[in-house]
Amino acid sequence: MNAFETAAPADGLTRRRGLLVPALILLLVFAALPTLLAGFDRGYFYQIANLALIFVLLSASMHLVTGVAGLLHLGHAAFYGVGAYTAALLTSKLGLGFTVTLPLSGLVAALVAFLVALPTMRLVSIYFAVATLAIGQMLYLVMLNWVDFTKGPNGIIVSKGFELFGFSLSGRLAAYYTVATVVTLSVIAIGRLSHSYYGNALRSIREDDQCADAMGVSTVRLKMEAFTLSAFFAGVAGGLWAHMTGYISPGDFKFSESILILAMVVVGGLGSLPGAVIGALLLILLPEGLRGLGDFRNIMVGLVMFLSILLLPKGLLGEVSALRLVRQQLGAAWRTAGPANGKGEGIGWR
Amino acid sequence: MKFRLLTLTTLTAAGIAGSAFAADTVKLGYQLPLTGDTAQYGQDFRKAAEIALTEFNAAGKPFKVEIVFEDSRSDAKEGTNIARKFVDDKEIVGVLGDFTSGVSMAAAQVYKDAGMPQLSQTASHPDYTKISKYQFRNIATQAQEGPYNAKWMAAKGFKNVAVIAEQTDWGQSVVSGFSDAVKANGGTVAFSEFFNRGLKDYRSLISKLERAKPDAIYTGFFYEDGAQFLKQLQQLGIKTPVYSTSAAYSPKLIELAGGAAEGVHLTSNFLPTDPSPNVQHFVDEWKKRSDGAVPGQFPAQAYDAVRIMLAAVEKASPNPTREKVRDALAQTRDFPGVTGKTSFSADREAEKELVKVEVKGGAFVPVAD
Repeated sequence: MNAFETAAPADGLTRRRGLLVPALILLLVFAALPTLLAGFDRGYFYQIANLALIFVLLSASMHLVTGVAGLLHLGHAAFYGVGAYTAALLTSKLGLGFTVTLPLSGLVAALVAFLVALPTMRLVSIYFAVATLAIGQMLYLVMLNWVDFTKGPNGIIVSKGFELFGFSLSGRLAAYYTVATVVTLSVIAIGRLSHSYYGNALRSIREDDQCADAMGVSTVRLKMEAFTLSAFFAGVAGGLWAHMTGYISPGDFKFSESILILAMVVVGGLGSLPGAVIGALLLILLPEGLRGLGDFRNIMVGLVMFLSILLLPKGLLGEVSALRLVRQQLGAAWRTAGPANGKGEGIGWR
Repeated sequence: MKFRLLTLTTLTAAGIAGSAFAADTVKLGYQLPLTGDTAQYGQDFRKAAEIALTEFNAAGKPFKVEIVFEDSRSDAKEGTNIARKFVDDKEIVGVLGDFTSGVSMAAAQVYKDAGMPQLSQTASHPDYTKISKYQFRNIATQAQEGPYNAKWMAAKGFKNVAVIAEQTDWGQSVVSGFSDAVKANGGTVAFSEFFNRGLKDYRSLISKLERAKPDAIYTGFFYEDGAQFLKQLQQLGIKTPVYSTSAAYSPKLIELAGGAAEGVHLTSNFLPTDPSPNVQHFVDEWKKRSDGAVPGQFPAQAYDAVRIMLAAVEKASPNPTREKVRDALAQTRDFPGVTGKTSFSADREAEKELVKVEVKGGAFVPVAD
């Protein structure tokens, strides 16, 4: 009893300190920022805020696969697209509202991810990256070419905005709060997943998958779970985007979007959730902020990315160096099957 | 080049800002891809808009007009951001652009709610003008061009035709607009397929197409894809006549395809060789700003779109508002542009006069039939 009492103040202090930062962030997202936005009352700022939040969610969801589990994922935007198309098709064909379409966007994206993961999750390193690239392209081409179902390049008009059980949330502030709530809850969930035993098991795959395997970690199953979970959150982001813009077409989910999300995770720092969030904010806000520079803004954005990789190889807040991870991933392609690892090691299959 | 253009815009902008107190200034927005995959089109549109704007401001009108150019990179995210930005700017009374239908339609969702008139020089998606009463376009749709070409080909005796088009919303409308008309005329569509933009190898598509033994091939492509297709058609020794839409009407088609473009038939509503003074004036101004290059169909559409918008602003003045500009745009009848006379129908579609053209001796030559 005594021991507990003496220990309590120290514990309480660290706990309070640990809660301070999240509390400040929540205050910023749900009180300070909306006050500012309402003060300026400019649709442009609301738009940027919502867009940045959606990409925070995309970046955070990719963080789970690429940052924590260390798997180079090159097709994330496709699951974002599957989510958006689910929401758009449910709205345009069945007349369903946001309350129903949002969870379904996530679930359908997760289901698709699970199905495509079944044959591919045994792949390692560069082969995994190539497989995700192929998955991304495949899903993109389905959206583009399955004209009867997805309307192909014609895209879909999503006639319904945000709502909750029939109450419209389409006003500027209400829409912001909707996006902010969904994104915050999702990011908290991703944070809980990555800062837990579960997250550490995923990290063990990143650090040394063979060692993890030998220690009894089921790497294939974990990879599958991480991939599916990350697709779920990407799908939710897609649902938000579909209802926010009111019109989607396959071009919104092409390969370059996957690369943009990957860049967010890398610039922010691989393995760090705050890093992924900051990376997303940076790469959405910077190009908008630099609009005044005209044609040079993209060069400036490229320069910032280049310098951040050059000077901060771990990104802003990362756990691992992006270069190290790439070297580790790509190295496997050139590893020869010598006598020491003659049992198929190096062929990218386990 | 970009440096010069940028300084030019900044200077004009600075000049206008300086004289803002002297004369009234009306602002317009123009969203277009100035960087990215489709930057070549956006850069052309800006050039065309600057020609139109300089003329307008030099004409001694009671007010000056300023155009705010914003780069959308043909990306729906950026397109909607820009739309919000334009809507926020209370001085902007009308918007031009975007280039692709996808971005134009995403931005249109914003303009619809804000009541901002939007005039795109190229958005050809059938549903674009159906979004709201604020969406206009200055391009002949395939619902208009398809039947025109189908009739032309039927008159030439081609009963059995093949259709190929790029896999975009526009390509979809090319195939449906044309095929429906061919069937209505009693012809048959022997083969119909889409290809993805930027395809490098058309040979498998061509051999599949030739197996259907069509009398002629109708194509929906822009000049980059068109040049590739025509060159490979020539390499395979295929002599089937090729017909195309006004979208392929660009001097760059002939430049890139060379001899392979000989004999291609297409429609257009802009002829740089047209001796009428307004066309020649535009072509001269364009040449001055582009090292002697001749403008194609799209820059001409952009030039006319800007002038139609400027005319609407003038009609709506003094004190133009978004609503007044929209109404003025809707009343546009027989606007004498470089792409012929343009009227907006009740559903805000541009009604254009089309001209038949054939590539002969490395140039586009108008033909009677």
